[in-house]
Amino acid sequence: MNYQMTIGIEIHMELNTKTKMFSGAPYHFKKEANTCTNEVDLALPGTLPCVNQMAVKKAIEACAALNLKIDPLVCFDRKNYYYSDLPKGYQITQQFHPIGRDGYLTIKDEGVSKKIRINRIHMEEDTAKQFHLHDETLIDFNRAGVPLIEIVSEPDMHTPREAALYVEKLRQIMTYIGVSDAKMEEGSMRCDINVSLARADSEELGVKVEIKNLNSIANIETALKYEYERQSELYDKGETITQDTRRFDEKSQTTVLMRHKEGSIDYKYFPEPNIFPIALKEDYIKEIIAKMDELPDVKLERYEKKMGLSAYDANTLLSDKELANFFDETMKLCDNAKLACNMLVSEIQGLLSKLGQSLCESKLSPGALAKIVKMVDAGEISSKQAKEVLSAAIDGADPSEFAQKMGLKQNSNEDEILKLVLEVLNENPQSISDFKNGKDRAMGYLVGQVMKKSKGQANPALASRLVKEELAKR
Amino acid sequence: MNIQESKNLGGAAFKNSYEKAQKYNEKLNAIVTFVEDEGCQNQQGLLANVPVAVKDNFSTKGVKTTACSNILANYQPVFDATAIKKLKEAGAKIFAKASMDELAMGGTNLTANIGPCHNPYDLKRISGGSSGGSAVLVASGVTPLALGSDTGDSVRKPAAYCGIVGTKPSYGRISRYGVIPYASSLDHVAYFTGNVYDAALALEVLAGRDDLDMTSSYEPVLNYSQLLDYDFSKLSFGVIDNVIEAMSNQKIKETFLKLIHDLEAKGAKVKHIHFDNDLLKALFPTYFIIANAEASANHSNLDGVRFGVREKGDSMEEIMINSRTKGFSSFIKKRFVVGSYSLFEENQERLFRKAQKVRRLVCESFNESLKDVDVLIAPASGQVAPLIQNEEKQDELTDEYLICENYMVFANFAGLPSITLPMGFVDDLPVGVNLSAKAFDEVTMFRCAKALEDVTGLKDLVKEDF
Repeated sequence: MNYQMTIGIEIHMELNTKTKMFSGAPYHFKKEANTCTNEVDLALPGTLPCVNQMAVKKAIEACAALNLKIDPLVCFDRKNYYYSDLPKGYQITQQFHPIGRDGYLTIKDEGVSKKIRINRIHMEEDTAKQFHLHDETLIDFNRAGVPLIEIVSEPDMHTPREAALYVEKLRQIMTYIGVSDAKMEEGSMRCDINVSLARADSEELGVKVEIKNLNSIANIETALKYEYERQSELYDKGETITQDTRRFDEKSQTTVLMRHKEGSIDYKYFPEPNIFPIALKEDYIKEIIAKMDELPDVKLERYEKKMGLSAYDANTLLSDKELANFFDETMKLCDNAKLACNMLVSEIQGLLSKLGQSLCESKLSPGALAKIVKMVDAGEISSKQAKEVLSAAIDGADPSEFAQKMGLKQNSNEDEILKLVLEVLNENPQSISDFKNGKDRAMGYLVGQVMKKSKGQANPALASRLVKEELAKR
Repeated sequence: MNIQESKNLGGAAFKNSYEKAQKYNEKLNAIVTFVEDEGCQNQQGLLANVPVAVKDNFSTKGVKTTACSNILANYQPVFDATAIKKLKEAGAKIFAKASMDELAMGGTNLTANIGPCHNPYDLKRISGGSSGGSAVLVASGVTPLALGSDTGDSVRKPAAYCGIVGTKPSYGRISRYGVIPYASSLDHVAYFTGNVYDAALALEVLAGRDDLDMTSSYEPVLNYSQLLDYDFSKLSFGVIDNVIEAMSNQKIKETFLKLIHDLEAKGAKVKHIHFDNDLLKALFPTYFIIANAEASANHSNLDGVRFGVREKGDSMEEIMINSRTKGFSSFIKKRFVVGSYSLFEENQERLFRKAQKVRRLVCESFNESLKDVDVLIAPASGQVAPLIQNEEKQDELTDEYLICENYMVFANFAGLPSITLPMGFVDDLPVGVNLSAKAFDEVTMFRCAKALEDVTGLKDLVKEDF
C-alpha cells in the first residue's frame, strides 16, 4: 500500500560565541575535559546566570535569516528535571516566549522550490557530556552551558530527500551568517526527527516516532528511508506503530528502539526569576539585522545576475563559504568577476590540491589574486604567464614583483610588435604564399614565430591581429 | 559595641569578638564555623578592622559553607559571595559563619542541623530565624554587624526578638551572587546592626550593581549615613491597622500605640491605613507557594554529584536519589513537595500562577498606599520570642498568625526597603517595630528609623548576662 510520510525536524545548534550562554567561561570544542567551566557552569550554590549578549545577537540573526518574527521581549524559563549531565537540576530555556516564531526556509530540489515552515526558534543552554565506562561515569562539563538555539520545523516535509535538503539548507545558512559551525559530526548541530506514516488517502497523521543520533545528512536520508520501509511493512501486516524514540545505528544503517514513550514528562516550567525580561529596542534589532552577513541565496543571485557568472560557477563558489568569502574580498579590489572566478575555481584549486593545502592555509591573499586579475585584464601578462604568477603568489610572492623579476611581461606595444611581424613576414615568403593558397595553418605558424622572436612576451591577440592585417596587405 | 567603637579597637577588635563568641557559643549555639583572622584588606575602609559574622549561606572562599544542611556539611566554596568581597574590601574581617534554619527555610532557627540557636534575653526562647545566629551575635554584643538573608522576614523578625536593628534594603540593592538561595525572586541580602546609623553605614559598603547578578540595580549608592537628618514635621507614617486589629497581646499593642502617639506629639504625621484583610490573609499562602516552588528548583543542584555530601549508589541516578534522601531533613522535603506540587502542569494555573497574580495585587496595593506616606509602620511581631518547646503549637490559620506573624513579607513581594528596630520591652523581652518605604528610597526609610530610634532611645542594646 502507499503511505504518505510526514516529517518534522528539531535542530539544536550551538552558537559559536566566545563564552557560554549564562556564564563567562570560555568554550572550545576540542579542549581538555573540564577546563572550560566555572562555578556557574558547575551550578555551585549561590551562582547566578548572566545572559550572553552575543548569543542573543546570534539568535536574532538566525531568526532574521529564517524569516521569523522576533519577540522584542527576551524571557527565560526553567525546565526542571534531574539528570547528572544537568548541573542545576533545571535547564534555562525559552518555553513561553521563544525569541522567534513563524518563519520558513526554501529548499530547492531539481529546480522546484518548496517552503518549509519553521514554528519557532528559542535559546537555551547545553548539558554536560557523559561517558559511561564499565563501572563508572565520567562527566565533562565543558559543554555545560554552551549557548544553543533550537529550531523547530513544522511537519512540512514528506520525503527523506526533503528532510535532507532542509537540514543541508539550514546548515548552509547558519554557517554563512556565522551563527554556528553547524558540524553534525562534532555535535554542534544535532537533529531529532519526528516521522509518521499514514495511508495516502487518510487525513489523519500516523503515530509519531522520534529518531535521534543522526550525525550526518546522509544518515538522515538513510534513517528515514529505513523508517518508511519498517513502518509501512508493519502497517501492511495490520500491526500498530508504537510511539517510540529510536536511534540511528551507524553499523547496521537502521534505526533501533531506544525507549517507548510513556506519558510525557512534566518539566514544571516556570519563569526564571534570576533574569528579568529584557526589552530589546527596535533599533537594536534593526542594527543587528542590517549588519548581518549576506545570506547564501542573496549571494547566489548577486553572483549570477550582477556579476554575470554562470550558475555552475556561482554554485561552485557558494558551496564553500571560505571560497565565496575569498572571492568577495577579491572582487572588492578588481572588476573582472569571470576571470577571478575562473582562476579561483580551476587554476588555484588545482594548484592547491597538488600542494595539499586549503585556501586559508596557503599564502595567497585576495589582494594578490586581484592584482593578477588586473594584470591579465590590462594585457600586462598573458593568461599563460598568469598561471606562473599564481603559483608564486600561493607561495607568498608579490605578483608584480615576481612578474618583473622573471621577465614575465606582455608586450602590447603595437609599433614594437608590428616591427617583429614585418621581420617574420619578410623571413617567411613561403608561408605567405601558403596562406594565400588557402592554408590557414600558415597563419598560426607566423604568429608563433612572432611570439618566439618576442621571447614569449608579445601579446598573442595583438600579434595575431597584426599578422592578419599585414598578410591582407601582401 | 557599635561599628565606630569596634573600629577604635583596631587590630584587637577581631580577637575580642572571636574570643567572646567562643565563650558565648556554648550557650547561644549561634556559630557553625569559626573563621581565623585573615587580616584587614583596607585600613582606610569604612569597616576597617570591624569583625563581622555572616550567615552560613554566604559563600566564603575556602571556608565551609553549609547553610546548616547535612547535604552541604563538607562544602567549601571556591569563591566569595559579592557581599563578602565588598565587606573585605571595606576592611571588615569575617570571624564566624552563623547558624540558620536549614537552607534558610524557616522562621525559628530550630531546623538548623546543629540544633536551635538561643535567645540571649532568655535561653529557653528562640532567636527567630532564619538568620538566628547572626541576630544573637549582634544582640549579645559579640559583633556590631552580621549579615543575614531575608526571604519572608528572616532578618526583620529575629531582629525584633533580639532587640536589634534588622535592615532589608530594596530588591536589587545588594548583589545576591554567592548567597545560597531560598527563593530567588524574594531573597534579599540583609543584615543586623545595633543602631540605625550603623545600618545606614553598612549599606554604603554592601550596596551596588554587580554584573554577576542581573537583578542587581544600577541605582546610585548614596552616603546613607550622612543623610539621616530629619524634621519630624516632614515625616509621615502610615499605620497598618490590620496588624493592630489582629493582635491579641495587649502589652505589645500598647507599646506600639504609645510610640505612634509620641511620634505625633513630636509633630510627625500619622495616617491609619486599612488594607483589604483578605489580601493580608493571603500573604502567607501566596508566599508559601512562590517561595517553595522556586526553592524546589533552586536546590535541585544539591545532588551530591559535583560538591557536597555524596552517598553511594550503583548509578548516577541512585547516587543522586540517595544523596538527596539522606542530605535533607524531612522538613525541607515537605517544602520541596509543596513547591513541586504547585508547579505541576495540572496545578500550576490554580496554585503557582494564581500566587503570582495575588503577589501582583499585593504589590499594587502597598505601592499605592506608599504614595501618601513616607513609610508604613506596624509591630514586627504580635508576640515576644516564643519558647523553644512551644514553637510547634501555633495555630497557623488564625488571623493573628496569618497577619501579625507574616505580613512583613509584603516588602519581599514588592522589593521594598524595610527595617525593624526595637520599640520597647514586654515581660523583659524586646519587641520590635517595622518600617517599610518605597523601592530604592532607603534614605527616607533610614531617616524615619532614626527619628523613631531617637524617640524610643533604644539603641546599641546588648544582652551579655545570660
